[in-house]
Amino acid sequence: MIPLARKTLIHEWRRFLPAMLAVAFSGLLLLMQAALVFGIFGATAVYITSSDAQVWVGYPGTQSIELGRPIAPAARTAMLMDPGVARVEPFAWVGADWRGPAGTGGLSVFVSGIDTHADGMIFSDVLTPAQRASLKEPFAVIVDRGDLDKLGVPVGGQALINGDLVRIVGTASGIRALGGVNVVASLDTARQLSIDGGDGADVAYYVAQLKPGADPAAVAARLNAHARGYAAWTASSFARRAVFYWMFQTGAGLGVIFLAVVVFIVGAIITSQTLMGAIAGSVREYATLHALGVSLGSLRRVVLEQAAWIGVCGLIAGVLLSLALIGLAKFEEVPVALNLPAWIACAVLVMGIALVSGAAAVRALRSADPALLLR
Amino acid sequence: MSSLAATGLCMGYTSGKLRTEILRGLSLSVDAGQLTLIAGPSGCGKSTLLSILSGLQRPDAGSVVALGEDLFRGDRYARDRFRLQHTGFVFQGFNLFPALTALEQVMLPLGYMGVDDVAAQARGRATLEEVGLADRMHLLPAELSGGEKQRVAIARALVKRPELLFADEPTSSLDAANGQIVIDTLRRIAHEHATTVLCVSHDPRLVTHADRVLEMEDGVILGDHRITNNGAMAEEENTP
Repeated sequence: MIPLARKTLIHEWRRFLPAMLAVAFSGLLLLMQAALVFGIFGATAVYITSSDAQVWVGYPGTQSIELGRPIAPAARTAMLMDPGVARVEPFAWVGADWRGPAGTGGLSVFVSGIDTHADGMIFSDVLTPAQRASLKEPFAVIVDRGDLDKLGVPVGGQALINGDLVRIVGTASGIRALGGVNVVASLDTARQLSIDGGDGADVAYYVAQLKPGADPAAVAARLNAHARGYAAWTASSFARRAVFYWMFQTGAGLGVIFLAVVVFIVGAIITSQTLMGAIAGSVREYATLHALGVSLGSLRRVVLEQAAWIGVCGLIAGVLLSLALIGLAKFEEVPVALNLPAWIACAVLVMGIALVSGAAAVRALRSADPALLLR
Repeated sequence: MSSLAATGLCMGYTSGKLRTEILRGLSLSVDAGQLTLIAGPSGCGKSTLLSILSGLQRPDAGSVVALGEDLFRGDRYARDRFRLQHTGFVFQGFNLFPALTALEQVMLPLGYMGVDDVAAQARGRATLEEVGLADRMHLLPAELSGGEKQRVAIARALVKRPELLFADEPTSSLDAANGQIVIDTLRRIAHEHATTVLCVSHDPRLVTHADRVLEMEDGVILGDHRITNNGAMAEEENTP
């Protein structure tokens, strides 16, 4: 069998190039949209996803981490008594007011009070043991590299949080928050910075690591069965709650999703038009094959094979461009993130656009008058 | 026994409020082993007639019996299969795939007929040799002259060993010498392979090379002439 689809694609690549570019840019737009959505809203779960705790305990009904309220220390006792729990750690969370040097005004910041031991669970993925240890110094804080300009203070500089003088001892990457600035401190510092004063009442969460083989969902269920004034979640379900809260309960999230839908539709229209144009250029040759008795079904397979190759080539180009842009975004501290399901979903959408466009092009052939085509 | 017969063919188009009748109750019958030419001015409905006789287009009224089979009794798929098995086509515009060599153009329809690659290549080579293109097999259409392209198109139709061969203005984009070669080839095919060759053209040069000439005007056949060996038009036999 003569590989008509591939030979034509290679020989007339100039004609198919615009369609391939349209596919590539559709893919690029979709992927970048997804990366931004996941990057921006993933930031709302950054406390959870960059920590290696498996079970979180907080105020009942908490939808997102910054909405936490203080819970009773009794929660810690209940967790330690659970047979599946290996280790429990408190996580203090204080909403506070940042005053930098003159000219930067006030800023709302979220102070996270974390365990400073080398094996601390909170922010285990983004802080080195040395950075944790540096927080033992009273009123030492660590902020995200990308937030330094906003805070108006360099590393080593000082500022006021809730009226107390703090010093930035280092920066980390990947602790940016949505709608504020994350400031990481030790549990003691966080208590001192809390307006109420250091009585321990500002502990908003307890997190736990489990014994090997223990099921986080089962542990959370057991804790919830006897919970009073607190609730337990697995880390993944709590992260999902936070992301969903921001995506669907705030106008900002819906706006970004709406934009993503627009991008998809515009990409699909442009791609299908260019692809149909490219395929329509061979319509006389296809009509000749049809006259020779080759069924429309066989011709459809040829066109769909071309569309699939265009989709694959466009997708590869789009993915390479996206990887370059995502790399650039990460370098510039822009929040971007893509997981495998998102990559696959975008790839399926892009291939779908290409194949639907190919099928539409075949319809054009079918509706054409053979007597006019065959001149 | 005619190999191709049409009875009472009617076909028209409506464009806006205007109704144009292309075929007005046309009937004809064509014999195997002959080159039959349908001659007439542009726009007289020749191409429409050809696309109906080959089963590409369904007429508004009338029937076509090809090789003893009523073409429009079955569905579109049955007509596709009929064309694949029994018919070849040659067009004015050659309609060759720019990406394929002459040999690949000729092998292409065989693949869809289920002929394997080795056999298809052997048949393709033999057919290209028959139309005098033995040394042009591996050239792309862009590297061939107009006459050579049309001979590739003829080989593509001929390689299927069709009982019916349709040609739509096969010489109008060729010069005199190449037109002569093409029409002689079509005639030789009719005589040597006992193929029914039906050619439509408004090219008067072709008349003396055909075995039979049907004159068409305004959607009907006006005259039917047998051509004698010396190229003279014989007496009009009948007017359908």
